[in-house]
Amino acid sequence: MTYRRRATALHAARAAAGLAYCLALALAALLLSGPVALGALALAVLGAAAVVGSRRELRRAVAFAAGLGLMVMLVNALVTRDGLTVIWRLGNLPVFGQTDVTLEATVYGAILGLRAAVLVLCGFLYTVAVDPDEVLRLFRRVSFRSALTATLSTRMVPILLRDSRRLADAQRCRPGPPPSRLQLIQAATAGVLDRALDAAAALEVRGYGAGRAPAQARDPWSRHDLAFGGAAVLIAGLAIAGRASGWAPLNAYPALHAPVTPSQVALAAGLLTCALAPFAGRRGVEV
Amino acid sequence: MLARSAALVVCAAVLAGCGLGPGPGTSNVSLRVTRAFGTISVGGADEPKVPGSETVMRMLERHFKVATRYGGGFVESINGFAGASPHLDWFYYVNGVEAPMGAAGTPVHRGDQIWWDLHDWSATDSIPAVVGSFPEPFVHGTGGRRLPVELECAGDVSVACHRVSRELGRSGVPFASQLLGAGSGTDSLVVVVGTWHDLAPETVAALVDQGPAASGVYARFTNGGRSLALLDPRAQAVRTLTAGAGLIAATAQGSAPPTWMITGTDPTGVNAAAAALTRPSLHDHFALAVQDSTHLPIPLRAGT
Repeated sequence: MTYRRRATALHAARAAAGLAYCLALALAALLLSGPVALGALALAVLGAAAVVGSRRELRRAVAFAAGLGLMVMLVNALVTRDGLTVIWRLGNLPVFGQTDVTLEATVYGAILGLRAAVLVLCGFLYTVAVDPDEVLRLFRRVSFRSALTATLSTRMVPILLRDSRRLADAQRCRPGPPPSRLQLIQAATAGVLDRALDAAAALEVRGYGAGRAPAQARDPWSRHDLAFGGAAVLIAGLAIAGRASGWAPLNAYPALHAPVTPSQVALAAGLLTCALAPFAGRRGVEV
Repeated sequence: MLARSAALVVCAAVLAGCGLGPGPGTSNVSLRVTRAFGTISVGGADEPKVPGSETVMRMLERHFKVATRYGGGFVESINGFAGASPHLDWFYYVNGVEAPMGAAGTPVHRGDQIWWDLHDWSATDSIPAVVGSFPEPFVHGTGGRRLPVELECAGDVSVACHRVSRELGRSGVPFASQLLGAGSGTDSLVVVVGTWHDLAPETVAALVDQGPAASGVYARFTNGGRSLALLDPRAQAVRTLTAGAGLIAATAQGSAPPTWMITGTDPTGVNAAAAALTRPSLHDHFALAVQDSTHLPIPLRAGT
């Protein structure tokens, strides 16, 4: 899973706008707890991810996000003892003692799981649709080494994954039983230093270490830059306002209280519209 | 093979107490919430019917606004009342006995009397037993199990012994009587009646002599048992009673069932204490000192 230029509006937007868009969605996921608002946000992020990612990448990301969300829900349901409505008695467990699964802990766990899944999908959006080199240029003026480290990290992971796949293919061609996953990981991690040296040599050759700031590009803001930048501002604003005004209330303990208020429905509709509207414009979208 | 394994798993789960839904409920549970060793009432509730899988924490949360810490296992505040100082916290007793585990893991049984109290624990963080839930724990026992009751009386307090027997009988508590010092089972609730001099060889007397940190009783007999010093929540003596002073208190050693003491500086004091062994006299008190007709709940507040 890596950045590849595609013919979508988010790819057409500059990195600053794409980054702000992804951050605003993640911020909204962290701030909002109401099930309707969070559900709408999840739909929005999923819709955006479906537009920008390939089907295979999206399937993997959704499977990982769903697994993580499910795990968060299960852990919360088993560990949290709050809640009045017992739905499942697990009896006296060795470490946990008397364990009862409550409806409240399960629902709150589902909310936390959904939040985790949305955050994973925001990360997916960023990875596949925001150009990491542009992000590096963006932050180069702010923090030279941190930006380099962050970019190298995000670029090295897919490279190592490709290395692993190549190693696995090579090992499968050899006679005898297939190698274990542990051996494969050992071989891939052993190559990390080589890869890092390669990257350092390439940067040296390109004069990155000279540390001279590049001339700042003064490209005019495109319609996509404005659309995603505006959407980021609106999404962040809606999330902050929703949190501050209590438009999406959720009290999980001791008894579940999550009313679907008109303000929450409006907030959900607003988030959905703001998050997906920038994808409507197709003019100027090219690979 | 798969079906057999699944059947085994289901059987194990059922034996371990697993099941869908809350399970069968229970009845006649009461809940009281107080502050300052029972002197200030916060509220209470009597529940004729209690849903299944009810714990002390769930029952509290059904009736009061509760804030918790440590994953819901520790009560931080009830109806907004929280520990204002580092040595002020919520404690709870079921049928007058300090629970051995957290409220979230303590199930509620039929007839239980649950008592939450916010108090200063600078003298001791463990008060094994209190008398304010009388006639509990004699009627319903602890942990849903009724315990055998033994009444041990000294030879010189027959009137007091008779009064205690009558009160236990009135509460419907079957008990066995024997002379003080005859020994009792380790799984019995024991009521000892006698002057402090009579009780001196008993283990519980040794605990009380060591102060609240060992016994949870905020009173101490001095002067060879002829004086009774009443302590405040910080274990400082604030009043001393002499002739005719009585005491009703309960304590326990380790995880053993509590022992109740009906005692005094002399037989008159023991009689006065025995006369105070009633539900209204003991209600919401950790222990009770008596002199003549004056009842002094202890720990005593300074200036009382």
